[in-house]
Amino acid sequence: MRREILRYVRMPQSTFLPPLVTNALFFVVFGVIIGGRIDSYGQFSYILFILPGLVVLGVVSQGFQNASFTIFHGRWEDYIEEIQTAPLSYGEMVVAYVLTSALRGIIVGTFIGIIGAVFTLLDPETAVVGVAHPLYVVAFVLVISVLFSALGVVGGLWATTFDDLAVMNQFIIQPLVFVGAVFYPLSILAQPWQTVSLINPMVYMVDGVRYGFLGISEIGPDLSLAVLTVAAVVAVAVDAWLFRHGYGLTE
Amino acid sequence: MSSQFAISVRDLEKDYGDVQALRSLSLDVGAGQFFGLLGPNGAGKTTFINVLVGLVNRTGGEARVFGADVTDDYRQVRDRIGIAPQEFNVDRFFPTKEVLMHKAGYHGVDRAEAADRADEVLRTVGIYEKRNTKFTYLSGGMKRRFVLARALVSEPDLLILDEPTAGVDVELRRDLWRIITELNDEGTTVLLTTHYIEEAEQLCDEVAIMAEGRKIAVASPAELTQRGTDTLRILLDETPSGVPDIDESGLENGSIEDIAVEGREVVVTAKRANAVAPELVRRLDRAGYQATNLDIEPASLEEVFVDLTSHDADDADEGEDESGETDADAQRLESPEATT
Repeated sequence: MRREILRYVRMPQSTFLPPLVTNALFFVVFGVIIGGRIDSYGQFSYILFILPGLVVLGVVSQGFQNASFTIFHGRWEDYIEEIQTAPLSYGEMVVAYVLTSALRGIIVGTFIGIIGAVFTLLDPETAVVGVAHPLYVVAFVLVISVLFSALGVVGGLWATTFDDLAVMNQFIIQPLVFVGAVFYPLSILAQPWQTVSLINPMVYMVDGVRYGFLGISEIGPDLSLAVLTVAAVVAVAVDAWLFRHGYGLTE
Repeated sequence: MSSQFAISVRDLEKDYGDVQALRSLSLDVGAGQFFGLLGPNGAGKTTFINVLVGLVNRTGGEARVFGADVTDDYRQVRDRIGIAPQEFNVDRFFPTKEVLMHKAGYHGVDRAEAADRADEVLRTVGIYEKRNTKFTYLSGGMKRRFVLARALVSEPDLLILDEPTAGVDVELRRDLWRIITELNDEGTTVLLTTHYIEEAEQLCDEVAIMAEGRKIAVASPAELTQRGTDTLRILLDETPSGVPDIDESGLENGSIEDIAVEGREVVVTAKRANAVAPELVRRLDRAGYQATNLDIEPASLEEVFVDLTSHDADDADEGEDESGETDADAQRLESPEATT
């Protein structure tokens, strides 16, 4: 675990800085510039509305990227064999990869939250972001970071080229996020899209975290949390099964 | 079952689709041995090693390390093995010392102890001054040294070295040999794969020869040498007019395969030349040739190796019957000018 955490902590310029810059831009463009012209959602300004979604985006994409990259790169350069030939149990290997990647997601998510808070502080017309249900924020962020790190492990084992990594991010993670009610409430969608959106797991995550920050939810956070928790446990179990059977690792 | 064997495999099989990398391989390596695994590229040496450390899943058969099954008791097995692979597979994100500390950490060594061990093994292999350099920036020879250091940092009971001296200079080779020999003297079992016969001859207690996934022979280097054909050079007091006509049959412990003449010398290719020589000289004497000097060049392991691996496993055991034939074939191929 130590090796995994140090790997990304030592390279902040390529691990932490890019998502922070991107998210600062999101806040500037959507929150401050465009946000003022968008109708506020209930009593919340647009910047407050998108903040939880951006946190989710950061957590999910960073957790996924970290896990998939570190495993794929290890396979590409063969040094994952150092882990494979070590007397660690398959469970320990998976837990180390998942937790360290989840931690990176959580760190990035936290920074995004702070940047968002700074923007709301700077804008006198906006209420400072609050956290209505802190336990829900923590629980959701934990669960989704673990879930997507565990999915990242699968991606890292499956990928055979660097392109595969990019494809997963571009064609799976990003689209799910953008149609995942990060930037709009579900209620503005016409049917059938509102219902179709409900098969997107991202919708539940964004909704749950938004409930944690703002106290508003379109779906109901408890069921979402339960389903996501089950999904996370299943994903980690799948990882352990894949490691045991050497999927992508042994010949 | 017993753990007097560092490695014990029975009927080990590995298929890659249609390709059989290991075919019913059975092999025992005693604890404390210096064991050599010889064979050409593609013989299955690396596949065999990778089955032991868990990088390859066997298709069939049994494989145990110190009595523990390599799949069921994988943690126990991996804890006792230190491996220096042929292909570099080193973490490139961290300086060498930290890579070693991580490796030790995987084996449950605490950080302070891991740092001490990392320094120690870096000194052992002679690259202590490179402890803060990343692997990528080491020279080729230093990389070789480093993978040995990494294999040693967990203080293994079984050290596996896959072609450790492939492409290294003479000095480094001697260095590596010295380090490995010392470790073996201290009780570490060593499994070495190589296609340098010299290496196996000088270092190993016992050698297994592999080809096409099969074990062809297991013996001490000396015993293996006896399986090859030796060359007897008998200097005569005068140049013979032609190849002496000598009865080649009925030699008890060896056999003559070829007799040729080079100037005053009669050059005899024979199995177990030591056993054959006295009777041969007697028969020469009876035929009127006076021997003044006798020189025996024993077969090198290399010749044995080439000889054995060019046959199938089954043929190798009854090589005596066939070898006359193959030598004749070889000669036909070799000397078209001589006959035309």
